[in-house]
Amino acid sequence: MESRRQETEFRIPKIGIYTGKGASHSWLWFVEVFERLGFYDLSFLTEADLVKDSLENVDVLAVSGGDTFAIAEALGPQGASRLKTFITRGGLYLGSCAGAYLPLNSSKEHLNHFNFVPAKITNLTKTLPEAHGMKEKFCTCYGCSFIFHPVREAIEVTTSGLPPFGASTTLTAPLYGGPPMTVTNPATILATYTNFTDKTLFLVDRKLAENTLLGNAAVIREKMGHGHLHLYGPHFEHPHFREANLFLANAMMWDLPSQAAPTANPEDGMDILSGSEKQRFIRDFKRELSNSRIVAAGLEMLPLRWTIGSKIYETGKIRVFLEALWQRIRSFEKERLILVRAGQDDLLVQTALHVTKSIRQIKKGWDQKADTLKTATLLFNLLNKTSALFLEIYFRSKFFHAASAKIANATAAGSVRKIQYEGSYGQIKKMVA
Amino acid sequence: MEYLASDKIAIVDLNTGDITEDELDEDLVLDKIGGAGITKHLYDQHSAAHDTENGPIVLGTGLLTGTLVPGSSLGVMTAKSPSTGKVSHVPLSLDAGIELKYSGFDYIVIKGSADKPVYLWIHDGILDINDAGDLWGKDTWAATDHIRDEMGDDLIQVLSIGQAGENASDLAQIGINYWQSADRFGFGKLCGEKNLKLIAIRGMGLLEISEPEAFVEDCAELIAAIRSNTTTQKQGIAAVSAALGEEDLGDWLEPLTHRHMACFNTPVATNTFLFTDEDPALLEETTVTEPGFLFTDIFPLVVLKKAGLSAKDAGLVLKACAKYGIDGAAVAELSATSGLTDPAEIEKTFPDLKGPVESAGESVFSPWAAVGQDINANWERRQAVAYILGLHPIWFQMATDLTEEKLLDLAGLGTEMEFTPDTLDEVIADILA
Repeated sequence: MESRRQETEFRIPKIGIYTGKGASHSWLWFVEVFERLGFYDLSFLTEADLVKDSLENVDVLAVSGGDTFAIAEALGPQGASRLKTFITRGGLYLGSCAGAYLPLNSSKEHLNHFNFVPAKITNLTKTLPEAHGMKEKFCTCYGCSFIFHPVREAIEVTTSGLPPFGASTTLTAPLYGGPPMTVTNPATILATYTNFTDKTLFLVDRKLAENTLLGNAAVIREKMGHGHLHLYGPHFEHPHFREANLFLANAMMWDLPSQAAPTANPEDGMDILSGSEKQRFIRDFKRELSNSRIVAAGLEMLPLRWTIGSKIYETGKIRVFLEALWQRIRSFEKERLILVRAGQDDLLVQTALHVTKSIRQIKKGWDQKADTLKTATLLFNLLNKTSALFLEIYFRSKFFHAASAKIANATAAGSVRKIQYEGSYGQIKKMVA
Repeated sequence: MEYLASDKIAIVDLNTGDITEDELDEDLVLDKIGGAGITKHLYDQHSAAHDTENGPIVLGTGLLTGTLVPGSSLGVMTAKSPSTGKVSHVPLSLDAGIELKYSGFDYIVIKGSADKPVYLWIHDGILDINDAGDLWGKDTWAATDHIRDEMGDDLIQVLSIGQAGENASDLAQIGINYWQSADRFGFGKLCGEKNLKLIAIRGMGLLEISEPEAFVEDCAELIAAIRSNTTTQKQGIAAVSAALGEEDLGDWLEPLTHRHMACFNTPVATNTFLFTDEDPALLEETTVTEPGFLFTDIFPLVVLKKAGLSAKDAGLVLKACAKYGIDGAAVAELSATSGLTDPAEIEKTFPDLKGPVESAGESVFSPWAAVGQDINANWERRQAVAYILGLHPIWFQMATDLTEEKLLDLAGLGTEMEFTPDTLDEVIADILA
């Protein structure tokens, strides 16, 4: 561990969030936490963006939960190479759940391009244990072996107390299939699984769950070149777990690259919508979002779910996307100006229209007892795209407005204020408040 | 208007297709409270500019509609009755009132006449005028199915007209989904004149309450008091009829009774589903497409029973009325006068049936809630309070413990505004003027 820095520059980080193939809805949790922190300089990156040069414009890449195999396959060797370059040059990789599995050493096809971290997982088995609940979610095939998930929901982890990441403390975070890990260098462990909570749901025998999880690493921090990887088994970014959010943010701020990614003027190359043009755009998008959420709410009453790739998708996941957008519509309506790339407004409305059509098609399919897997696969892809597109416009406009304000303007221009950064949660807490 | 409201009034001009939105001014609420108090005000305000014979139709909800106050299910339709020539008020029962309350609009004024058939789609603060070319000519059941199928949601509330409204019958009724409404005033004819086939509503909004803890506490006390009152424990149309002093229909209806159904948050189930085409004792899901009919109106049942029809035949008559969109009470009255008892023969008379009918009553409030009651000043005052605050008018007639004073207190707690008995008196006087 490098020596503790007494003072560091505070700047708004430029964060890329992976929303491409294999990403589940949990990337929206990162969005919520970053928004609360006032980090509006967010970009939403697909596998295509990653293999291009998009990583050159971010300080942090956050990869959330989902289907690790699908993410690895989508990124391919070229994506892996880009990612490696990004980290070794000083970038921070923030992986949660599937995003944490991705860079671990593996010999499996697609995953073998990402052998960045020599940690081992303890939930790998050749003989599958007996499932005590949620049979459909308790394991994933891994070649001739299986990755099994001993528990779900809130578990207790204890942070290591290693500088600069604050004193040792116990906090809770939800586990939805993320890895328990072992490492050879204990100095890389930021937090360890220490206990269960009354909310913990056991998917295997409790003793086996204890042996698999407790005492093993929940969060690790690996250095690679000039950059770092922070790998979280539990979802520290889940918005209902504030202490975990603070830990994640604090760790992220510590390991930001010393050289900030270039800041683009949010107005560059943008159409600025205002007045009736802005209102029409928001209204058209809102109409489709509303149409979608109405059908999606009805679908939640049906015993319907799909296996897409190696993940189970329930109907309730549809509204996780839609509500994440809906809850931002009101503040979006209040923005004086909206910044869009040429044609992006029409594209968003058209994509939202396709979402509505797909959800209605699923409802019709259910009524007619037809197979809806193909439509559901398309739908979740569309939901990712629509959400990413809307949030890109939303945060760009929000960042622009913040940048227009005096203090934020200084931040956007790269000027910084000095803060005492002691590894406590104090500074971040103030921002959250 | 911050509390218990969406703060939005929509003005729909069918002549031009324009939709304008106004805020719900707090002064208007202080002056007219809500429900029929405001729909009447809006009717007066917009009736001068209309270009159809019978003026606008105004939809709205009471101040307490959709809250925890027992019986808070009511929406209101206000227009000039083609039958009585008076500006009258029809209660929107079942789930129509609650869906309207949460639709993002507090009041909707529908002016003018479209040059081709249209329908309104109201959801999440969006109001669209859509083409109804495919719907025109359909009965209310087919129209309801069509719209729910197209939108992909079975919870959409549909206020529609059938052939009676399209053909401008004075006895035309605006139905609620598949069932008869309390429209005894021929409002269906107004919709036909406006080329307005239906209004589809879905409400997924939220309401803010000014003092939620005190409000909920008071509502809980009311519910406890109601539970100890045997009058308000009645379930089903027959029991309610008997409790209100009308003929006991129990023995007549019992062999066909399948289930009772209450309107939203209404302690008394005032509706009963009769299996006219299926065994009511069936314990498995019926395979008959249309196994029966939901009786929502006591008066026509009483008349048809007195005319000598069996409960099954009465059910068949009223089901046909609902589909055709003609007032069942008027049909029952006119059939009894002409001595017809065969359902098929009665149905044949629908296209030529004409008023006047006594079942329209002389009050500005629908006589639907006048079961076993004299329509006098006390009845009208009680109805007025129900229509202003959004309470089920039959239930409110039975719930004599529910005082005006208590309700005004709750309105104050919910809105942070003060409503005095004097204001209530003035609003009632205005409605009855």
